[in-house]
Amino acid sequence: MSIPWTWFFLILATYPWLFVADLLSSTLATSGLNYFITGATLIAPCRRLKRWQAVLFAGGVGFMFEAYRPIPDGTVAISLITLAIILGNYRTYLRTTLATMQAAVVVNALAAIIWFSAAAYTSAAQTDIYNCIYQAAIQATLSGIMGLIVIIPLSTTQNWVMDSIGVPSAHDLL
Amino acid sequence: MNNHQKGAKASYIALIAFILIWMSGGNTLHRFTKETFAEFQAPALQLVSKGSDLSRYWELKSRSNEELISASRDLARINAALELRLHSMDDIRRENARLRENARYTSNSEYLTVVARVISRDTSSWWQKILIRKGRNDGIRPGSPVIFSDKIIGRVSVVHLNVSEVDLITSPAFRCTAFLVGDDKRRIVYVKGDAANSLSPSRAKITAIPLDYNPPLGQPIKVMTTGLGGVFPSGLILGEVDGSIRMSNDDNYKVADLRPAKSLDMIEEVSVLVPQYPTASEILLAPSEKIKLEEFK
Repeated sequence: MSIPWTWFFLILATYPWLFVADLLSSTLATSGLNYFITGATLIAPCRRLKRWQAVLFAGGVGFMFEAYRPIPDGTVAISLITLAIILGNYRTYLRTTLATMQAAVVVNALAAIIWFSAAAYTSAAQTDIYNCIYQAAIQATLSGIMGLIVIIPLSTTQNWVMDSIGVPSAHDLL
Repeated sequence: MNNHQKGAKASYIALIAFILIWMSGGNTLHRFTKETFAEFQAPALQLVSKGSDLSRYWELKSRSNEELISASRDLARINAALELRLHSMDDIRRENARLRENARYTSNSEYLTVVARVISRDTSSWWQKILIRKGRNDGIRPGSPVIFSDKIIGRVSVVHLNVSEVDLITSPAFRCTAFLVGDDKRRIVYVKGDAANSLSPSRAKITAIPLDYNPPLGQPIKVMTTGLGGVFPSGLILGEVDGSIRMSNDDNYKVADLRPAKSLDMIEEVSVLVPQYPTASEILLAPSEKIKLEEFK
């Protein structure tokens, strides 16, 4: 039986991953690229948590990402909540490791595009649309690769926390 | 319709309701959420920065006595030279104060210096920021200039309790007026951050360079602050002109790229110049009863 605060413990367990990704992005400062893994953090919780818990988790992760970034308030958080709802509704498709990895790549790249577009919208920079698309494509590609790289260790950590708390496994929910 | 489908439908309705509440919640709700999540992360940021300081401390402690003796000898010499300079500054300051008194001109361009360590750099194509380990508790105010020695680093954009966000000189949000050293007529140009392309270094741009400006040959062209606008003190170095000065797209003026005076990717410590008196923008934005105009007199 899972407890109501599972989503919060999961945020605490996921935060070190997000934090390390931010610190690594700091070392990439000269390139203007970010190690974005926020989207990939949704996959494992959405397979096992109840819908409302997955939504709170996604909102928490989204608002944490936005806290120090100049993007319109709530953009990433609401996008992640939407993605969490969609993933929760189609959780039967996330049974295999391959499907989980595919979902991580797609969700992470999609969340990166949303964040990047929101940042471009807020920015005072003047640039043409083709350059904007080109920049977003580079960032989305990196984010997709990051999603693929981190999904196994990240979901292992998250699953371990959920096992410890007593959240039913993904197969039990099917 | 089974329970799963009902739940799916309910979740979409709840999402739409949340978006409506969020959009109608106004600035207070948005600011509260942002501050809460920023403060939630602040201890971790502080911990990492202090950990990095500690490792630097132990690295320095492992150095030999000979190294320390030679470093302190060098410092003593530099101190002596600086003391001499300080004495001459004292005379100038006294003279300046006397002239101001005679002219009945009171200056409000005085700053308190707060030294702060850099926690992390956060850059993308659309912003160039650093986080520093000083915030509202240390008296930092939004809009305060951030410098290293006499070089401009950027400007404080957002202040949290113990952490502040600084827009770097290369950030598209950064704007400042400047002089080009070597321009005898001291005409004002305009410096602004520019959107960096991914995988290429960040940069700033100088615009509104007069058409008849001829750069001095064979020497780097420094760009200095004017002091106009009341944000940055005058005479600080913004950087140097990078590459050639070229015509703007509309042929009305010249433009050039600016190379920041300090390497912004390596900087570990900065000084925040906090104005001693409320700035013009603070007076305009703050409720009138909070501003003591007597302070200006």
